[in-house]
Amino acid sequence: MSAGHNLADGWRNVRTIAFLTLDTLFWSKKTIFVMLISLFILGLSILGRLIMSYHWIRAPFTSAQVFAALMSTAVIHFLVLFVTLFYGTALVSEEVEGKTLTYLFVRPIPKPTVMLGKYLALIWICCLLVLPTILLSYLILYIRRDMSQFLEDFRVLGIDFGIVFLAILAYGALFGLIGAWLKHSVLAGLVYAFGWEGIVSYLPGFTRKLTITHYIQSIFPHEDSASAIAMLIGQRTDALESVVTLVLLTLFLLATASLILREKEYILEQ
Amino acid sequence: MTSVLEGKGLSKWYGQVIAVNNISFNISAGVTGLLGPNGAGKSTLMKLFTGQLRPSQGEIRLFGEKIWNNYPLFHRVGFCPEQDAFYERMTGEQFLSALLSMHGFAESEVAARTEAVLEKFNLVDARNKKIAAYSKGMRQRIKMAQAMAHDPDVLVLDEPLAGMDPVVRRDTIRQVRAWGREGKCVIVSSHILHEIEAMTSTILLMHNGQVLAEGDVHQIRDLIDRHPHNIFIRCSDPRRLAEKLVGYPDVLSVRFHPDGGALTVESRKPDEFYDRLPDLMLQHDLNLEEITSPDDNLQAVFHYLVK
Amino acid sequence: MPIHDLGYRHWAGEWTSHPYRWWVITRQGIRMLVQKKRFLVLMILSAIPFVVRSVMIYITTLVGDSARRISLLTINAKFFEDFLSQQMFFTFLIAIYAGAGLVANDLKANALQIYLSKPITRRDYMLGKLGVLVFFLALPTLVPGLLLFLLAVLFQSDLTFLRENYWVLASILGYSLVIVLTYALIVLALSSMTQSSRFAGISFAAVFFFSQILYGILSQILRTTQVAWVSIGNNLSQVGDLLFRHAPQYRSPAWVSVVILAALVAGSAWIVHRRVQAVEVVS
Repeated sequence: MSAGHNLADGWRNVRTIAFLTLDTLFWSKKTIFVMLISLFILGLSILGRLIMSYHWIRAPFTSAQVFAALMSTAVIHFLVLFVTLFYGTALVSEEVEGKTLTYLFVRPIPKPTVMLGKYLALIWICCLLVLPTILLSYLILYIRRDMSQFLEDFRVLGIDFGIVFLAILAYGALFGLIGAWLKHSVLAGLVYAFGWEGIVSYLPGFTRKLTITHYIQSIFPHEDSASAIAMLIGQRTDALESVVTLVLLTLFLLATASLILREKEYILEQ
Repeated sequence: MTSVLEGKGLSKWYGQVIAVNNISFNISAGVTGLLGPNGAGKSTLMKLFTGQLRPSQGEIRLFGEKIWNNYPLFHRVGFCPEQDAFYERMTGEQFLSALLSMHGFAESEVAARTEAVLEKFNLVDARNKKIAAYSKGMRQRIKMAQAMAHDPDVLVLDEPLAGMDPVVRRDTIRQVRAWGREGKCVIVSSHILHEIEAMTSTILLMHNGQVLAEGDVHQIRDLIDRHPHNIFIRCSDPRRLAEKLVGYPDVLSVRFHPDGGALTVESRKPDEFYDRLPDLMLQHDLNLEEITSPDDNLQAVFHYLVK
Repeated sequence: MPIHDLGYRHWAGEWTSHPYRWWVITRQGIRMLVQKKRFLVLMILSAIPFVVRSVMIYITTLVGDSARRISLLTINAKFFEDFLSQQMFFTFLIAIYAGAGLVANDLKANALQIYLSKPITRRDYMLGKLGVLVFFLALPTLVPGLLLFLLAVLFQSDLTFLRENYWVLASILGYSLVIVLTYALIVLALSSMTQSSRFAGISFAAVFFFSQILYGILSQILRTTQVAWVSIGNNLSQVGDLLFRHAPQYRSPAWVSVVILAALVAGSAWIVHRRVQAVEVVS
């Protein structure tokens, strides 16, 4: 068999598993829950817009400030984390708990293909649930008669999309690995997301580079952001270095997850 | 006969628990029954057969190749797991197509094979129904369907008759025998002797992770028959029943229960005894209240074999 | 593990009278959790702050009046309130570990049919499950809180501390119960809404964290802490300040926090009541 044929077959298998996983993960209560959270975030955008439009408080703020606050706290440090944690830890764990992993493992496909297909589904779902929330928030906050600022900040929106996409890739790979490896993947994921990242990202020097959030924050584009964000962004890593690190980290985590899936014995409870 | 599945000194343990303990076997084409009580190690052995588990010691080979992480082998293997687990949101057709497409078939062939296997297992009407809405029997049939849709050379069936109604059970037994005649290697596991007996005469008898007996089912059954069965019967007139039973040569002894309402019969041929009992009860107008066989079980056989 | 995994055996003991049948479920739930080593480690870790604070009480007693100059070594109502507030970190983790699968695993294994086919009511089942959580959540809060108060009293040479702070006992009891019931019922409600303990655990974490983030953003946008009632953690703090007679941290009225928490507890109990059924009709 030619290498091209193998690649085509491999991609077909990845796609099949991705669609299978997408169907299982998307149509579940998790998605309703995530949509509820997204609605809340949109609600905050609407509130910010109303306050700006009707001057409900004395100290005005700009659309950029509200959007930056939403992006930094609600989207990157919450929505992305939760969505990737929710779905990432479920990729393998739900197959094990549901005892359906057997069907995938007793097929003539390499186990890393299974991991790749599931990861692809994870990225699709996370992008589908998160990116529209960001776009809608942006539109709610920025649309007005004078569209000049809208177009100016559209570039920043594009960068935000890119950052969120990189965050989904990296966190998705991490929680996919945790889900493939550990039995209590949720607790481990929560400890990492809100324990390790919450503490270590505030530590000085090299230690903060041991978190994904550091690299995300290093490429965060909002300069005129709220004080909370300014406090969070201490010493930044160079933007290009951050992007490359995130991509390499994603590949490393994905490879490790594939290796674990390949070598680990999953005992399905009878 | 060429060996299809071969195990040498195979052991598998989980922590302190030994599930499969130093067994060796050779399974050829045809139907082989894997028999044993719950906890004997049958499911673990089946998982070793299908590469879901790695041997702790020894080796296991399929067509001369090691199984663990050898995914190309699974073109030739079909597995029907014991657990009732599915992608519930999928329809039967989607489920079969998705799994078939992982075997590298072209889309047209996937469609053709899906159609064929739905028809074979009488699931055509239910093809567009979600598996979550399937009855227990339908679920078992779709499980069997996915195992053989790609026409494997080796079929590993873990408790395939569980949950099936009598008609479907009969059809499945016939199908398994047909596969064996076609030259496939079919390994069927069950803890019910007569189910296995209906499908094959070659069995592997397991207990506590070890193979206690291997060979023709009649030879093993004879071993059971050499050890007389005790059958406890409670009826309206035990003494009259006893009077009728002692005339039969397979009945070795009759003991009456202290309460006077029951008796225990020792018989060398329990099958004949059970066949004859309903007619006896009817002919002599006796009411049967309770019938049990305290030692008509594999445990007794194993005890006998291990002693 | 639900009942069906235990198998059937003849009961040779006394029959429990009906009002105590929930205790059977609680007792079994406790037994199953204490067999898990990781859970025991978590419980042991949750005892560390108690040990540290006991030492603080001891040191304060030794140092005497000079201790009053160091706020950290002042044993007053705030000392106990701070202890209970800090223990919420452990109650959060224990609630997830012990509570996420309590009902979810029974739903997954169809064990509710088996439970409710026994001579127990839905109320017994709910109380039984709640009892498991109350037991393990009270262990790092109410029990050490009361023990710390006892130590503070015992280490004194006279009854001055007790005379001045006797009401703190009721505050410890009240605040602990508020924390325990809030965490227990919310996680139980989420567990009853799904067959996946993972989903229940993550949802529980999401509810708490998101409410805090929501407060953070709202307070930034509106430049006020009057919206503190949005966060469950802040509501608990407000109630704590109320019970321990401190000035509230946030400008939001304490009664609003009480109402919100009461609504959360009642709403969660209603959800559990609705979800605990022997048979689920799927259309």
